[in-house]
Amino acid sequence: MSSPRILVVGGGPAGLSAACDLAEAGANVVLVEEEGFLGGTPKKLHYSLIAPDLKPVQEVLDPLVRRVEQSGVEVMLNSEVASFKGSGDGFHVEVRRKGGPLESHVFDSVIAATGFAHWDPHKKYEYGYGVYPDVLDFKDFERMLSEDNLRRPSNGETPKRIAWLLCVGSRDKQVGKFYCCRMGCVVSIKQAMEVRQKHPEIDTYVYYMDIRTYGFWEDKVYWRSMEEFNVKFVRGRIGSINRGEDGRLVAMAEDTILQRPTEVPFDMLVLATGMEASRGTVEFAKLAGLELEEHGFIKPLQSDSLPVHTTVEGIFVAGTATGPKAIPDSVSEGSAAAMKALNFARRKAVAERQQTR
Amino acid sequence: MVVEALSVLRNLPARKKEEQAEPSILLGGSRDLGLDTLKLAQDIYDQFTADPRYKEYVLGCLNCGECTTGCPAARFYDFSPREMLQVAMSNDPLVLLNAMHEKIWACCQCYTCNMRCRFGNDIAGIISVMRELAVKNGLDSAKEVLRPYTRILLKVMTGGTQVSPDMIQPDFFVDWGPDAVSKASDLKTLRKAIPIDVLQVTDSAWEVSMQTSLELFQIYQESGVIDIVRAVDPDLVEMITDIVDEWREEFEEMKEKYGVR
Ligand SMILES: Cc1cc2nc3c(=O)[nH]c(=O)nc-3n(C[C@H](O)[C@H](O)[C@H](O)COP(=O)(O)OP(=O)(O)OC[C@H]3O[C@@H](n4cnc5c(N)ncnc54)[C@H](O)[C@@H]3O)c2cc1C
Ligand code: SF4
Ligand code: SF4
Ligand code: SF4
Repeated sequence: MSSPRILVVGGGPAGLSAACDLAEAGANVVLVEEEGFLGGTPKKLHYSLIAPDLKPVQEVLDPLVRRVEQSGVEVMLNSEVASFKGSGDGFHVEVRRKGGPLESHVFDSVIAATGFAHWDPHKKYEYGYGVYPDVLDFKDFERMLSEDNLRRPSNGETPKRIAWLLCVGSRDKQVGKFYCCRMGCVVSIKQAMEVRQKHPEIDTYVYYMDIRTYGFWEDKVYWRSMEEFNVKFVRGRIGSINRGEDGRLVAMAEDTILQRPTEVPFDMLVLATGMEASRGTVEFAKLAGLELEEHGFIKPLQSDSLPVHTTVEGIFVAGTATGPKAIPDSVSEGSAAAMKALNFARRKAVAERQQTR
Repeated sequence: MVVEALSVLRNLPARKKEEQAEPSILLGGSRDLGLDTLKLAQDIYDQFTADPRYKEYVLGCLNCGECTTGCPAARFYDFSPREMLQVAMSNDPLVLLNAMHEKIWACCQCYTCNMRCRFGNDIAGIISVMRELAVKNGLDSAKEVLRPYTRILLKVMTGGTQVSPDMIQPDFFVDWGPDAVSKASDLKTLRKAIPIDVLQVTDSAWEVSMQTSLELFQIYQESGVIDIVRAVDPDLVEMITDIVDEWREEFEEMKEKYGVR
């Protein structure tokens, strides 16, 4: 029996985990990644420290990348799936490396690990993104932190006071995003901790309607941010941003505990932008005939008991392609999908052998 | 500059930046209405929740406060659209009645809260439903708030939808600011200064035909508007009815005279 041939689309935490587990189990794995590097969105957008343990992103992801490179996975960078057809003998897939010719492959099973994208905060104009240079979103601020270059874009000065606004492009009927991004709270608080660690002179305020640091994130991140870093929390949302006379941002918010509207000047505002299905996720789903669920992510066959099966037999899914989640969950799903894809390919091989006997 | 506003709002404590506001919902305490307050509250509550708009406008609330951040009334009064939405959801007739005595009148119906609400509530709409009920049930607060509008209603209901210069009454509309007060002092001269052909009078904007006025009155009567106005201002309705009766007589005479039927 020859080794199963399995395609993994997407080289983020989920895809990396699926690919190396499969290769270590003896499968022939092709990993297709449209960027020129492995590591997914955290690498692409230059995330800084990773919650909950505040480890640098390299420390978290590089070991996974090394395992993939050492386990014999065929990694195709700068590549995209150009055509995709399922039939009795497997999935016929054409892959194109940027500028190169089409390469044809046949796979026994497939894993989509095509990930998420940040919601574009331009769409919520009241928050001033794209209007005021000192209003940043997650990706802008993570990059600033990872480059250790904390300055106000408007004038290059070190900020004295920074605010975070949670749930931007999440939990909001106005923009058609009804779901919770799951990461915004923990990432905002972790960013505030990073700021306070490096610059104790900067005041940090998080405006929230709920703090959702579920599980161990509660004490490791939320509580610790107050106990050790003196991060401040305001229960209420900033509804709009104005420019103050001195060029600072003025945040108009209701403090719903004191029950009154407030106007507070800040030097910077960070918008906790939500997660949506990446363009690559939507495109691959279309190509492979995978159904999407109501929020625009890939639909699991059963959200409760079959979370890594898709609506197409033989195609599995892992990570944020099915909805917001953290790195460890994405990694676990990668392994789960690997198991399912391997089983599917083996069962198929057994059936084929029985037929030809 | 904080302008003084409608008299009913004077009862609301003004916002003080340094001071923590009182606990919101049970503010105020019931006034003696000369009626069984509990029964009235229950009645109004039943009308409120039976209104088909109630289910459509009030969906739920994340208590995020974004509605309040854009609310002009919240800047001046101890009032917030979030609180009104909570009142609407409170399932407590007394809480509803309390809000209807004062707070609902602080809103200027600008609809900013609706634009902001991430839960899709129609907050401005539900406030206006509460106001309608305050009027329909003849609450004191509605009477007080609508008093300055007596002359306007009189004009509109007897002369078609028109705004005439003499409707500006600085005593009542203090929230229009000091400019309105000075403008209202010499209407005749100011009117003359308008360089286009306007009626050189201050009590109407255009002449309205008697027939139109009579038809309008009939519409008001049959659509129930007269009943609503009567609930807050019976004297006004009497005045209007007298005027209209006179017109009707005159109109009949005219028809007879010219042989119109
Ligand atoms: C601001 C922010 C901070 C975060 N910080 C943390 C943290 O501190 N701790 C934590 O646990 N989690 C964190 N997360 C969550 C974490 O980023 C995700 O859980 C993780 O990246 C998901 O991995 P993934 O493989 O599903 O998707 P991705 O990381 O998005 O990877 C998908 C990969 O697939 C590629 N791809 C997509 N479509 C195609 C296609 N059609 N063909 C080929 N390649 C394709 C993409 O280029 C990308 O490399 C954070 C998220 C955000 C938004
Ligand atoms: S995780 Fe936090 S920031 Fe993100 S949508 Fe949920 S509550 Fe809002
Ligand atoms: S409609 Fe009323 S409650 Fe809503 S923002 Fe305007 S004044 Fe405030
Ligand atoms: S904006 Fe909507 S959800 Fe938020 S507090 Fe106001 S009514 Fe509630």
